[in-house]
Amino acid sequence: MNLKFEEFQQSNLGLKELDNIRLKSFKKFEALGFPTKKQENWKYTDLKAIIDSNFKSLQIFKDQKNSKYNSKLLIRNFEHNQIILLNGNFIESNFNFEDEKKISIKSLKVALESKTEFEKIKNYFDDEQNSMVSLNHALVKDGIVLKTDNNYSFNKPLIIYNLFDKTADSKIINNKVFISLGENSKLSLVDYYECENNIKYFNNTIHNYNIEKNAILKKFSINASIDGSYNYNSTKINSYSNSIFENFLLSLGPNFIKNEIHCNLLENYSSCFVNGIMLLDGNQHHELKTNVNHKFENCKSSQLIKSVLLDKSNGTYQGKIYVDKTAQKTNGYQLSKALILSESSQFNSKPELEIYADDVKCSHGSTTGNIDENSVFYLMSRGLTKQQANKLIVEGFLNEAIETITESNIKKLILQFFIERIKKVNI
Amino acid sequence: MLDIKELSASIEGKKILKSFNLKIKAGEVHAIMGPNGSGKSTLANILSGRKGYEIEGAISYEGKDLLKIPIEERAQKGIFLAFQYPTEIPGVNTNNFLKTSLNAIRKFRGLKELDSLEFLKLVKEKSKNLKIEEKILSRQLNVGFSGGEKKKNEILQMTILEPKLAILDETDSGLDIDALRIVSDGVNSLRNKNRSFLIITHYQRLLDYIKPDFVHVLVNGKIVKTGHSELAQELEKDGYEGVATAR
Repeated sequence: MNLKFEEFQQSNLGLKELDNIRLKSFKKFEALGFPTKKQENWKYTDLKAIIDSNFKSLQIFKDQKNSKYNSKLLIRNFEHNQIILLNGNFIESNFNFEDEKKISIKSLKVALESKTEFEKIKNYFDDEQNSMVSLNHALVKDGIVLKTDNNYSFNKPLIIYNLFDKTADSKIINNKVFISLGENSKLSLVDYYECENNIKYFNNTIHNYNIEKNAILKKFSINASIDGSYNYNSTKINSYSNSIFENFLLSLGPNFIKNEIHCNLLENYSSCFVNGIMLLDGNQHHELKTNVNHKFENCKSSQLIKSVLLDKSNGTYQGKIYVDKTAQKTNGYQLSKALILSESSQFNSKPELEIYADDVKCSHGSTTGNIDENSVFYLMSRGLTKQQANKLIVEGFLNEAIETITESNIKKLILQFFIERIKKVNI
Repeated sequence: MLDIKELSASIEGKKILKSFNLKIKAGEVHAIMGPNGSGKSTLANILSGRKGYEIEGAISYEGKDLLKIPIEERAQKGIFLAFQYPTEIPGVNTNNFLKTSLNAIRKFRGLKELDSLEFLKLVKEKSKNLKIEEKILSRQLNVGFSGGEKKKNEILQMTILEPKLAILDETDSGLDIDALRIVSDGVNSLRNKNRSFLIITHYQRLLDYIKPDFVHVLVNGKIVKTGHSELAQELEKDGYEGVATAR
């Protein structure tokens, strides 16, 4: 283990309570280490092996002074509000399209230094049987705390830019994002990851969302550009009465991603939708693990994941729907479809239903296969080459999931990234 | 244009076509009629290049050995198969597919590729002529199409791609009278002295609308009788059995 907690601690002494949590969490991490396949949640992803074989010496990220980011990495020709995180640190925000009085944004670093602010988020530092979470608790330095008032609908999407530069090279970066949507509020959030060329880093990030009564949060996780990043992202959502949480994941570029989505449907008529695509080649390894917890009556959840695997890539979807004994009239659905286009690639799918109520509608399905030969023949008999035919079929296969996006301007943006990526894939 | 000599074909050891001979000249419309299992669809499949058959004999298309031409090149060289069961391809936009197809063929013929605007204009015109609702073209390819919509879509593709040899594999089966008229209008509007048709059908009904130059009766992998369009009526009256044994 190369991670030197003592060094980190010396320069980060703060609130006594937090320091204790950090120390306890780090000890826990040290005891467990990076996850291996022995842990049920990591059955298909040996993170320890992945880190050992890709990082000679992974170090804790220290540099905090750097606030100059490369503005070329930002998205153009798309009206949006923005929050910039550079190497996990909050740099700046811009809510030009909004009524700024309705929105509160703070750097997590500041919140972690104030006793009253820390008190509000302390609960989110709970102990868990997950060494990545322990590591994050121990080493988190910055991030954001975002809140909206009740009855506020954003006019334009908000992009959180997660940018990384060369100072992040060979480092592990731990940060947290807190978002709380007030009652009847609405936000479209793009969680966007981008880095400078030729760097390799590990980003370990935890998001916590609160979606109050009647609020709608639509989140789009975009990992589009091909890069040497390794990402673990755990998102925890608490959904209250009649609220909607939608998450679309565009899982295309980085070497490694494990996304975890833990959504608690806590009150009547709340709903959760998780859809996404993976298009992987080379040695890419991406995993999505969902945990949708129906804890109240009349809630709805739906998941559709489509994946295409080439070369030696590895994709995994572990989707779990849990229905509490009180959660009658639950409607839960999940479907995973994958195309495996090379003999050395693999896709693992583990659908799980855990149901304790007796009046529920839950279903799941999972298919894995190759490109349908009849479809190829049909297209070739119209003059398309085999390659054109395959590409069109794969594009169509993944498009079906993209078509579920309900925000048309964001769908357009996502299609652009998708088409850029599929052009570079050798099918 | 097409010359099939002593063609035998089998699949998984089962012989389907036996010493089959057929010659189609430019501008001719040939109909092949026959009962279920007589080898009609196998013939269409072999002409369009579907794999999986053991083939003997020779097929020449415009003087070239057709069996050596790859599937997509057959299409580019002007062979079009209207499928009996058009394949549903989820997520693929019909217009987008058709534009890719048309441009592949135009490129091969040394014509300028069409941009989206030019293409849409062409599609609009062709679908209007055939009284096909344009909106099926913005849907996913054949997905959720009714049987009639699928067949109409095949005919629309045919009129846009302007093949030299069009093979219609039981395009009429399962169609109502209105759809049948659209299909036959499509064929009739394309008929000219350079373009040939091979129409495979169960029933004589389609041939009331499309008058073929020749009608062949296919039984057990062999043509047992050849005649002109009156033969279709005879078949309707006497059945395949009657015509096949009366020779």
